[in-house]
Amino acid sequence: MYDKHILSDAGARSVWENGKKYGYQFNLTINYYRGLPLCCVDQITMIIDGEQVPYEQMYVQHRGREYAYLDILKSDFPTDFYWLFGEYLTVVVKNGKGIEQGIHHCKLTLGTRRSYTPTMVSVCEKDVTFA
Amino acid sequence: MKTNYDIKLGVSLYSYQDNYYFHRYDIEGCIAAAAGAGAEGIEVFSDAMIPEWPYVSDAWIDKWNAWMYRYDVNPVCLDHFSDRQMWHDKELTDDEMFERGVMYIKLAKRLGCPAIRVLHEEHTSEHAMNCRLTDYGIIERLLPIAAENEIMLSLEVHTQDGVGADYQQKYIELAEKTGMPYVGLQADFSTFSYCMSTADIVNAVASTGAEKEILMAAREEQRKAYFGGYEMDREAVAAEIEKMHPSDATRIALARILPNIKMPEGYVSPWARMGGGGRARRPKPSFEKLYSDLEQWASKLVYVHGKFYDIDENGQVDDMDYPRIFKALVDGGYKGYISSEFEGNRRMNMAGWCDEIEYVRKHQKLMRTLLGRE
Repeated sequence: MYDKHILSDAGARSVWENGKKYGYQFNLTINYYRGLPLCCVDQITMIIDGEQVPYEQMYVQHRGREYAYLDILKSDFPTDFYWLFGEYLTVVVKNGKGIEQGIHHCKLTLGTRRSYTPTMVSVCEKDVTFA
Repeated sequence: MKTNYDIKLGVSLYSYQDNYYFHRYDIEGCIAAAAGAGAEGIEVFSDAMIPEWPYVSDAWIDKWNAWMYRYDVNPVCLDHFSDRQMWHDKELTDDEMFERGVMYIKLAKRLGCPAIRVLHEEHTSEHAMNCRLTDYGIIERLLPIAAENEIMLSLEVHTQDGVGADYQQKYIELAEKTGMPYVGLQADFSTFSYCMSTADIVNAVASTGAEKEILMAAREEQRKAYFGGYEMDREAVAAEIEKMHPSDATRIALARILPNIKMPEGYVSPWARMGGGGRARRPKPSFEKLYSDLEQWASKLVYVHGKFYDIDENGQVDDMDYPRIFKALVDGGYKGYISSEFEGNRRMNMAGWCDEIEYVRKHQKLMRTLLGRE
């Protein structure tokens, strides 16, 4: 659901500290008709220009907090941090060098677990301009 | 606009999901749209449109109450979900599922909603899933909490078997046995779909490249069978379709209505992968039985979802016999809300913008006409 829209064109850019790039970020919206707790995220896999972003470099920012991507997949991650319907979930990739400004070909795979339908895996492949 | 009719009309804000998802309308905008379409009842998903869920502040409740007053509408139902599979390797226990049920009941009370739509175990069929949803045992425990808060547990029957199915009756008996009339069945018109909706066809064509002409031909066979009063010969229709050399995508799109059509090699449906697939375990009851069950149970139903996927050029729902459904509800003495639940958006939005506001407006008008109010 919403497959074509889960990777937003808005807000993709390098992230900086003290005048230097230390990573980059992009925004996702949910592939479902309602919000879900973050613990129901099954998979966020991003391939940029043919190379998969390493999971251990990925962090998820949600309502002013940041979680290592691999932590939200762990059993017993809280069930009450809701990724709301239509709300951005920001993924920050801390690769130490940012991303070259310009257009990059991206392929996002997003899997979310639901209660009464099969886990849905959505794929969105598109060119995104990173600032 | 509030009325004194026995059958009142509402809108599930789910109907406006794309407008919300893409930030065209916020929840107040959706409530205004429903009121503008002539509805007097509002159904809401906390999981979608209540930004503070699951910890909703009194200040937000005050805003909600102000909207109900401003737009002259009533809260009708809050939707409950059974998210048991919270983690990839662990599920919620029955105690935790019960606690989540209590959360929804308490929020409904604060919102002034008289009911929660419960995603109960037999929501989509008797053996739908490989994990248990909110089943009889949990509902038995929720019932006293519901009674204490005067919140109806409205069990939505989203099955092909309808509200008369034997496996739904234990819940009615539970209410009678305990003397707590706070659990009941909710009909959903999807039970009465007699053919593929054009919304499904738009979706299959846009998202998988299935062939529209072949899908329309299969739909036409279904329509002929329904209006001709006979059961479609699935084998004969599948044989005719084979002659049209359908693509793999077309075969997959037809799998539900023509189970004997040849599937692409190695294809496993998402439902089968999930270990479910219970939807096809029993043959679908005849439409005569479904209408007669609806009429027989109408006076006991606690809520009704006016499901629709598409509206044709004559203002009619394209895959359900609304005049028959409404006659059964009226003749059977249904009292309560029928809420528009537009579900064509998530099918047709793969092909472009789907004008939910216009769909709901037409649907409310259709329902008013069928009830003799226009």
